[in-house]
Amino acid sequence: MSLKRTSFLALFCILAIALLGGCAPGKGTEYKIGFVSSATGNYASLGLPEAKTAEMIQKQLDAMGGITGPDGVKHPVKIIIYDDANEADRAVSSVSRLITEDEVIAVVSSTGSGPSVAQIPVCEENKTPCISMASAKAITTDAKTNTEYQWMFKTPQTNGHAGEWQAAYLKAMGLTNICILYTNDGYGKDCFANYKAAAEAAGLSVVYEASYAATDTEFSAQMAGVQASGCQAVEIGSTPPVASLATVAVRNALPETPITLGHGVCNQSFITTAGEAAEGAVFPCGKVTVLDQLADTDPQKAVLAKYIADYTAHTSGEAISTFGGHAWDALEMVVDALGSLKNGMSLEDQRIAVRDYLENDIVNWPGISGTFTMSPADHNGLTKDSLLFVKVEAGQWVAFPETDW
Amino acid sequence: MHRKPQRQPVRLIIAALVVFGLAALSLLLGSQKGLQPQHYIQLTIDGVRAGSIYALMALGFVVVYSVTGIINFAQGEFVMLGAMICLTVNDLDLPLPPALKLIAAILAGVLLTTLIGAGMERLTIHPARRSPPVTLIIITIGVTITLRAAALLVWGADPHVLPAFTTLALEDKIFRFGGVIIQAQSLWIWGALIAILILLYFFLERTLLGKALRACAVNRRAAQLVGINPDRMALLSFALAAALGAIGGIVLGPVTRPIYDMGVMLGLRGFVSAIIGGLLSVPGVVVGGLLLGVVENIAAGVTDPAYKSVVSFIILIAILLFRPQGIIGGGEKPAEEA
Repeated sequence: MSLKRTSFLALFCILAIALLGGCAPGKGTEYKIGFVSSATGNYASLGLPEAKTAEMIQKQLDAMGGITGPDGVKHPVKIIIYDDANEADRAVSSVSRLITEDEVIAVVSSTGSGPSVAQIPVCEENKTPCISMASAKAITTDAKTNTEYQWMFKTPQTNGHAGEWQAAYLKAMGLTNICILYTNDGYGKDCFANYKAAAEAAGLSVVYEASYAATDTEFSAQMAGVQASGCQAVEIGSTPPVASLATVAVRNALPETPITLGHGVCNQSFITTAGEAAEGAVFPCGKVTVLDQLADTDPQKAVLAKYIADYTAHTSGEAISTFGGHAWDALEMVVDALGSLKNGMSLEDQRIAVRDYLENDIVNWPGISGTFTMSPADHNGLTKDSLLFVKVEAGQWVAFPETDW
Repeated sequence: MHRKPQRQPVRLIIAALVVFGLAALSLLLGSQKGLQPQHYIQLTIDGVRAGSIYALMALGFVVVYSVTGIINFAQGEFVMLGAMICLTVNDLDLPLPPALKLIAAILAGVLLTTLIGAGMERLTIHPARRSPPVTLIIITIGVTITLRAAALLVWGADPHVLPAFTTLALEDKIFRFGGVIIQAQSLWIWGALIAILILLYFFLERTLLGKALRACAVNRRAAQLVGINPDRMALLSFALAAALGAIGGIVLGPVTRPIYDMGVMLGLRGFVSAIIGGLLSVPGVVVGGLLLGVVENIAAGVTDPAYKSVVSFIILIAILLFRPQGIIGGGEKPAEEA
């Protein structure tokens, strides 16, 4: 009996301490942010730097003691991180768990376009702002009405921006007929649709288009088509390693034909795996990968330098990628939005306030992926200028501005 | 099939008609796309190269299946492990000239993968050897997932580079004949396949161990009666399959960019090749692999390359439906366990 009584007493003490602690003055309620990325699975090389960026931001917020609102009340912040392995069903269940059980104010999810599109109904029905780190147009734009979803946002540069750069470059070179090669996955197909639209808008004609699997090693079928079509340049919409193999195949079959690629190849992996075939290839890149090529007047330069220093320190020297930057932008936007909230709002009101802040108050906001200006008609907020056009020279990216074309 | 010899000519005629029909269709589709003769030659050469790798994979399937009656789905992971271990050793800072270092790396890749194959048999298959084949096959799927996840942890999700054997650099030597391109690495791949077939022939026909393995494949019970230990032969078959896979991965390494999940599609294609060859005959599955490589590459070339994988799966389904004993090998079922 006495043991039982002691236990109850102990429990009472613990509860009392916990309650008193909760009532400590000057401290606001905890803000929770949901975060889902593909830290495992076939998008792990994208999802891991994203998850690490989220951990890094959590650490920084802890060091600052949280977010201080306009009323001076400081709120601790908790970023709840889940992994979806780039599977749509796991993304959807993670997001709904974050919204309904973990009661987060906003969700940053997910790495791939597939899972990001799959979560749209969950975010919309639960009236919770969701920011995706994937690039497909369908994440923020309802194809039926061609308007932006109420609660969906995304931070990466789109394949449309990359397509515009390539088309502008090939047009400036005086070319008319182009071929487009792409991986037959979500990213590659989105590249293809956007590159084709941008090329045709610029007056180029796409005379041959072909896809390959991400695991392919033989490209003679595609090269036969490219050669037979007689196109003057090849646009490639892929990520390494298959982007490197396709580049090598084009170089071998057609040593003189210009090759342009999308911003999926802006990592060191492309140059190390394509080798000399990458020489002379041109593509637009997120500025985070080409910091040393940026002019000092670039509004993003300071933000970029700080992120790179912080990330390198946090991961003990891991290579920087654009993907971690997408996570940084999304989370920091949410952090800024949370900083505008007064203490004591209901969860529902907090979610509405964050959404409104994202839509209306992210204006000329320098981030990692570009300078954002969101609006009710644009839940991405970036333009073609968020990417820097580069050329591979002697195994390095070199800025290749329009004046040099 | 030997019971009805009178039906053989009919089958041959049907087969010939199908082949001619497909060839004519390919030429028709190809001419509409403006393909030139050199394109067909290129498609065939590259198809043979891909097919050589499929053949090496298929040999691994055959070795394990004929001795143990198991389809070993981890075969694709052996290919990945061979390439990954090889390039890791090659990247080590050893005080050796590059050529010797690559040779050491190749040996390390083959030996370590062989050990992993043997370890897999001892740790996962051997303890469950009394279970029905379905259970054992599911075990191999489990091993596949484990090995792939382990590779992701060890080597990360980024692609890696294995230098070409001829140049010892990323850029391979390229021979051009008119419009046709042959990479020097293709010659290494074909050389490796031919060398392995010769070695395998001598091993199976001329050595006692090889004969014991074959005896076990023909009839496990009878082999046991003459003093062959089938458990040891099962171990040997897994080790041999792992070695074959590793060699395939290593010679393929320079033309692809090895990555932790490269075994998935290769394993599947190797399996289709093995099915074409009837799963039991060595020459059958080699021809099966080469055939698959060429057919899928030409089909991709004359239609849309997006259909490349579709071709192998159509072949797989068609064969399982109409000729489950394979097209070429026409082998028998392995000895049933009592």
